[in-house]
Amino acid sequence: MNSPNSRKNRDSLIADLTEGLTPVRAMRFRDGALVVGAATLLTGLGVVLVKGFWFGMFEGEAAPFFWVTNGLLLILGLAAATAVITMASPKVGNRYDAPRWASAMLAILPLTALVAVLSDTHGAQGHDHGMTGSLAWMCIRNSLIASGLVAASIVLWLRRGAPVSTNLGGWMTGLAAGAIGTAAYGLSCPLDSVGHLGIAHVAPVAIMAALGRLTVPSLIRW
Amino acid sequence: MIADEATLARLMAASQKGDKAAYNVLLAEAGMWLERYFRRRVPPHQLDDLVQDVMMALHNKRSTYDPDRPFLPWLSAIARYRWIDHLRKVYKHEADLLEDGDASVDSEEDVVEARVSLERLFVNLPAKQSEVIELVKIEGLSIREAAERTGQSESLVKVNIHRGLKKLSALVEKAD
Repeated sequence: MNSPNSRKNRDSLIADLTEGLTPVRAMRFRDGALVVGAATLLTGLGVVLVKGFWFGMFEGEAAPFFWVTNGLLLILGLAAATAVITMASPKVGNRYDAPRWASAMLAILPLTALVAVLSDTHGAQGHDHGMTGSLAWMCIRNSLIASGLVAASIVLWLRRGAPVSTNLGGWMTGLAAGAIGTAAYGLSCPLDSVGHLGIAHVAPVAIMAALGRLTVPSLIRW
Repeated sequence: MIADEATLARLMAASQKGDKAAYNVLLAEAGMWLERYFRRRVPPHQLDDLVQDVMMALHNKRSTYDPDRPFLPWLSAIARYRWIDHLRKVYKHEADLLEDGDASVDSEEDVVEARVSLERLFVNLPAKQSEVIELVKIEGLSIREAAERTGQSESLVKVNIHRGLKKLSALVEKAD
């Protein structure tokens, strides 16, 4: 079926590639996890150094919703980061369902916030929702900034790898970076009302996911 | 006879360490495997270009193979990715049709290969999309000819090709 010419071309290509072979270090999941883990650690340190650490969370001042929100953000960040690190080494049979379920879990928070604000149960008790004016915007902006380093580390990892699901890779990069960055910023944010956490600490994840989908595929396509 | 999964995985692991003899054998075997893999989904005159394209990708991305995992699912993910990229580029009218012999089913295809095959991707597309992709991108018909053959308008053929390729690219790693 192949012409002698094409056979000759392929043999020549094989000879060239063989001649140019150099040893390579296999990309393993743990290497990617270390890269993203280091970026997460640096982000956390940066947040604490620049914005300070809210010690109130360990002194009984934090509402349970604070722990629920940041716990869900960490779970989503972990699930999406695991998926996107795996994407660098493609394989027919890979599945990336966990971040979808974790995203659905996180989506409960803004719905809860909406219900809380509409019914004003917390407001009636004198709590600040932290949703108006500059407070919410400040948290959204700072969380987005805090997501940058993790996003960059994932993109670099994917560019070294061979992602074959580039659009999904974009979503997952944004989800992972947004969730981890927002959780890291949460170390310094003392606002723990349902309204604030459910909106201002979830919006950055959605924004980063959309940004990731729009910008990352062109950076990792090969 | 193409080497089995375990042998290919062993050759690839040795290649990552710089073993040129193993790599030479691996590339020859991978070339034959890819030729069979693409045979029913690429016009004969484009087959060798695509096989060589994937072999280049294998070389450039060889560090992304995890030696603890099987080789063929890794290679076929790369092959599918390059194949979809190839389909996107094929817009010109191509007169060559698939030869009858190319459509034959390979009886030696084992379970692993069936799971990673290109056919698995097509079954996930709506019939209208897979039909026009096959006609235009694989058999080489023009948009007008595909429209006449399927009863779809020319615009719809273009839309279905676009949507189908987009969906295919989202399914590259899908195994079932």
